[in-house]
Amino acid sequence: MMIETLLAVTFAGALVTFLAPNRIAGKLAFAISLIPAGLSLWLFTAFDGSGNALLEGGELAWENQATWISLGAYDISWYVGLDGISLPLVVLTTILTTLAIVSSWTPIDMRESQFYGLVLFIEANLIGVFVALDFFMWFIFWEAVLIPMYLLIGVWGGPRRKYAAIKFFIYTNVASLLMFGAFMVLVFSLEVTSFALPEIAQAMVNGGPESFAGVAGSTIASLVFVAMFIGFAVKVPVVPFHTWLPDAHVEAPTPASVLLAGVLLKMGTYALLRFNFTMFPDQLEVYAIPIAAIAVISVIYGAMLALAQTDLKRIVAYSSVSSMGYVILGLIAFTHFGVGGATFQMVSHGLISGLMFMAVGVIYNATHTRMVTDMSGMADRMPIAVGILIAGAFGYMGLPLMSGFAAEYFIFFGAFGSDMLMYAPAFTALAMFGIVIVAGYLLFAMQRTLFGPYRLETDYEVGRAPLHDVAPMFVLLGLIIALGVAPELIFEMILDSVDPILDLGGDA
Amino acid sequence: MSVGIEHYVILSLALFCIGLFGVLTRRNALMFLMSVELMLNAANINLIAFAFYHGNLTGQVFALFTMALAAAEVAVGLGIILVLYRNFRDVDVTVPSAMRW
Amino acid sequence: METAFELAPAIVLLPLAAFVVALLVGEYMPKKGALAGIAATAGSLLLSLYVVAAVATGGEHQETYFTWAAGDAFSETGESAIEFTFGILLDPLSALMLVIVSLIAFLVHVFSLGYMNDEGETGLRRYYAELGLFTFSMLAFVVADNLLMAFMFFELVGLCSYLLIGFWFRTESAPSAAKKAFLVTRFGDYFFLLGVVAIGATFGTLAFQGDNSFVAAASDAIEGGEPLFGFEPRTWVTITGLLVLGGVIGKSAQFPLHTWLPDAMEGPTTVSALIHAATMVAAGVYLVARMFGYYALSPTALAIIALVGGFTALFAATMGVVKDDIKQVLAYSTISQYGYMMLGLGVGGYVAGVFHLMNHAFFKALLFLGAGAVIVLMHHEQNMWKMGGLKDKAPVTYYTFLAGALALAGIVPFSGFWSKDEILFDAILVGLNEPIFLVAYAMGLLAVFFTGFYTFRMVFLTFHGEPRSEAARDPHPVGWNIKFPLLTLGVLALVAGVANLAPVYKLTGLEITYLEFWLDGQYGGYADLTYTAYGDTVPFGTEYIAGSETITLLIAAGLGLGLAVAGAIFAMVLYNVPEPEPHTENLGSARTVLRSNYYQDEYQVWIAENLSLPLARTADRFDQSVIDGVVNGVSSVSLFGSSRMKRLQTGVVTNYAALMIVGFIALLLVLGVLGGWFV
Repeated sequence: MMIETLLAVTFAGALVTFLAPNRIAGKLAFAISLIPAGLSLWLFTAFDGSGNALLEGGELAWENQATWISLGAYDISWYVGLDGISLPLVVLTTILTTLAIVSSWTPIDMRESQFYGLVLFIEANLIGVFVALDFFMWFIFWEAVLIPMYLLIGVWGGPRRKYAAIKFFIYTNVASLLMFGAFMVLVFSLEVTSFALPEIAQAMVNGGPESFAGVAGSTIASLVFVAMFIGFAVKVPVVPFHTWLPDAHVEAPTPASVLLAGVLLKMGTYALLRFNFTMFPDQLEVYAIPIAAIAVISVIYGAMLALAQTDLKRIVAYSSVSSMGYVILGLIAFTHFGVGGATFQMVSHGLISGLMFMAVGVIYNATHTRMVTDMSGMADRMPIAVGILIAGAFGYMGLPLMSGFAAEYFIFFGAFGSDMLMYAPAFTALAMFGIVIVAGYLLFAMQRTLFGPYRLETDYEVGRAPLHDVAPMFVLLGLIIALGVAPELIFEMILDSVDPILDLGGDA
Repeated sequence: MSVGIEHYVILSLALFCIGLFGVLTRRNALMFLMSVELMLNAANINLIAFAFYHGNLTGQVFALFTMALAAAEVAVGLGIILVLYRNFRDVDVTVPSAMRW
Repeated sequence: METAFELAPAIVLLPLAAFVVALLVGEYMPKKGALAGIAATAGSLLLSLYVVAAVATGGEHQETYFTWAAGDAFSETGESAIEFTFGILLDPLSALMLVIVSLIAFLVHVFSLGYMNDEGETGLRRYYAELGLFTFSMLAFVVADNLLMAFMFFELVGLCSYLLIGFWFRTESAPSAAKKAFLVTRFGDYFFLLGVVAIGATFGTLAFQGDNSFVAAASDAIEGGEPLFGFEPRTWVTITGLLVLGGVIGKSAQFPLHTWLPDAMEGPTTVSALIHAATMVAAGVYLVARMFGYYALSPTALAIIALVGGFTALFAATMGVVKDDIKQVLAYSTISQYGYMMLGLGVGGYVAGVFHLMNHAFFKALLFLGAGAVIVLMHHEQNMWKMGGLKDKAPVTYYTFLAGALALAGIVPFSGFWSKDEILFDAILVGLNEPIFLVAYAMGLLAVFFTGFYTFRMVFLTFHGEPRSEAARDPHPVGWNIKFPLLTLGVLALVAGVANLAPVYKLTGLEITYLEFWLDGQYGGYADLTYTAYGDTVPFGTEYIAGSETITLLIAAGLGLGLAVAGAIFAMVLYNVPEPEPHTENLGSARTVLRSNYYQDEYQVWIAENLSLPLARTADRFDQSVIDGVVNGVSSVSLFGSSRMKRLQTGVVTNYAALMIVGFIALLLVLGVLGGWFV
């Protein structure tokens, strides 16, 4: 019942915060968010699962299944559990939410109780996405995440917030529709009696879909694979479905950006791993080259776009596109290190991009501008915040002993030796060039904004950032370094859950 | 000549068409409401006739339902017409079109 | 002996502790963290010497401390799992390098007291913290027992280099130089990382030493002959070796990735001495030496190393001739000298390359620290044309600098002569057998003349003649903390050559080539990491002039020494006068080319700013107009469509009723036609 407690506490916390007076909402939300954070850390230490949640031999931690609704021939159940892939993401979610709440104390100055309530509501739904093992339950959480995020962007956002919020909502919602429809077709063409994901995965392993409505089973599998891939690809996002991301990030308030880049994007890759890359090993082989090409294009093209930006937030937003391309590359490599590294990158990128958005937010709080051209020499006025920003930027560039390097190295190593992907070394080499471009745009941006003689185009007095602005960044930096020095902290658990997937794919 | 089921059907059809004609051509809301009543009653005739024909009471029960429904509809409809009149000083149904988009 | 090896991790960790201390409490310490750094590096130095003693008495040590990551991975050669670990490998090579790095780090820390603290710099806490981090990373790189660990710390020293070059971040130029340094070396590291990944994926191991090292695996694969990733095993070894070499070329500032090093002189001179002359830049060459067994398997890779080295040696030396800034001259000489080391390693002269690495670390650190002392004397003036006449006013600086200069120019009996001579001797032996190496040798030999010339041009302009500025007439005094490191290194520059007097051995038969014995594991060390083991693998034959080793030796040494002296004398004639003229202006357009550094910077900046940036902007426009245009287009089309469709809603209830009826009838008709009611 631990997972239920976690969810219930978070939902209740959201409600309490909603009703609290604005004056205390920030502190209250922080205090409340410590409970799920602590709880998830406890789950992390007490984790006793093994194997993959969806596949045979998987021992779930805190598994709980109860039939919820019987829908004709299909049962919808309340089904939760954690394995080595979802647990790190749950911990990431709770920690990042707590830190995002602290980082919003400075910038958020209206409708506080609603703001913090929505943040906690997002957290609850994100946890739900990662723990749910029944498709319907999972889908409800998946869609419910969009609503508070839509409101966060649309109410507390920047000047073009309405455009960004609507674009974000409709784009990802249409993608969800595509994915939902495809999955329904899949379920109806399989011999299953419930929407429980393990059962569906098992049915896919035992031969896949039968013909349905006059279409051959293998065709259905291919169509469903492609439709679901596109559905999740929008969420990730990969090129060419990425254009909602920079708009959403630029307009979103800092904490929303942190959660958006830190966790929401990982929903897409998590779902890809859970659905496409677990259930469709045969299709993977067919589509390996196009998917790898998309991954490489995302990496290089995303990085090139970041190079052209002059808005700090846009730079980080586009670099997220680039970083998520690595995840796709790792997944399609379909080796232990590739898929494990991709999962590791989800966590690592969540921490690093969260840190970067916070750091940019702290600078914005002081200067009220994010344009590279508007400032220089910020290191002179805000040494600590800038120091952390530099550390974060090097984390983004994949500096060893920080988690980004571990993730990228695992992915590259896994991808280079991939059996499934033809020309794997060439794809790896191309994607790796991203590490040069990322260094290029971050170093250029840092040189212009942080160094040189102090100059600021806006009329604000810039002083050192308050402690509660920098403290969350220190926590993140600590986690990034801890995972960089000892990736085994979570990598062992991840590999344990990833291995069964690869055994299916006939990876020798 | 005994009255066969087809006579009822024809009567009901005629009544329905009159009602339909009223709905399509009248602009006065009251006439509109009456035309709707005509169509409902055409349906009622059908229900009762077929109930009699099949020797089954279900149709008659449904006719009672329809009457109750018609009464309710008239009550609501007249209410709307009153409000309409109060706002537009008229009961022409083509005048209030603000609800379209 | 075991104690030394057990304490070895402390060599690495002490500077890390200094980093933490300086970062956290440096502001409150006397000398702002310098004392922590000095204590830590002194401790590292003592422990390093202890390790050397342990290795000298027949020890060697390899220990894995920490598993970074482990998992299943199927390599080309059949391994089914791989472990990435942190461990240390202590053998003659790493022990020697430990001493070099910790000694110079220690001396630079001491020198910093005079150069930074006494000059009233701000941000000293940051400075000492970064120095500590650098020393930690560099030492960890040196002791790394596998390629991945080496890569990690190779990158971290790059970070420290970036931070320290950009130490004066309030200026415009320092951050720019820092960025360039990181970016250019990153470009090299891209290939290095690709090489690490490729080697790992091929052989399933990244260890440097032992039966399960990638070197042994590669050697087995070449014997086995099974193709690796679709290539002949030897070709694949060459490819991966060259990929790793990309990192070496970036870090050791070899052509064409040398452009960052002269710019890196924007950092404090102490940093230039420690990082951009003696240690970090040496990391590339050290890496080649560390995995020399791997390169020895591939003649192509060795030939490329030799050619790159020879070309860089000459190429950089010519640019050094026309520079006016004392640090710029030293920067180009650094590039040139690392070219020699690459040349030495490329022709299979493992001992010669490492010997020069050691000597160069001493005399180049000395020259940079000497230049730092000169800069202090000159009230922070770096242009040599504003100096002159410092000889009498600062004798300690002058004589130590002169010792360094003589070593750099390669004049007997200073240390640089012995190692450079050995490199050129090894090169000519191989070159006589394989003509391609003769090209590399010729370039290296020609560079000797330029080295002699620019070195003494620098010495004479700086110290001789009449003072040419107010500062030169009244130099700022320097303290013990500047003189002590200079004297230490001055002595080393003079005597370090004794370590390996190979020509003396060859002429007289006296067995005094200690460094060769050392690197050959004759005192202690791993059998697979010795000069003999490498020599057995290196595929090149050698030949002698007229069949005699002695004649060849004398000719080679004579040529080298003669050219060096000729260069020095030429410089003396031109510049050892009271009022020297800028003679290099007579070079005309050649001078323009040289002062523009052969337009190497131009094209690299062009690639960065005139190629990448417009390309990025084009991509951005494409993204905004086409890709996002499609997204927004979908929404516009829906909006337009619905604006037309909504006209169906007239708001007139009669119309709705009519539509309903028409629709109902249409539906009936369709069903009727399909159901065949009308047939």
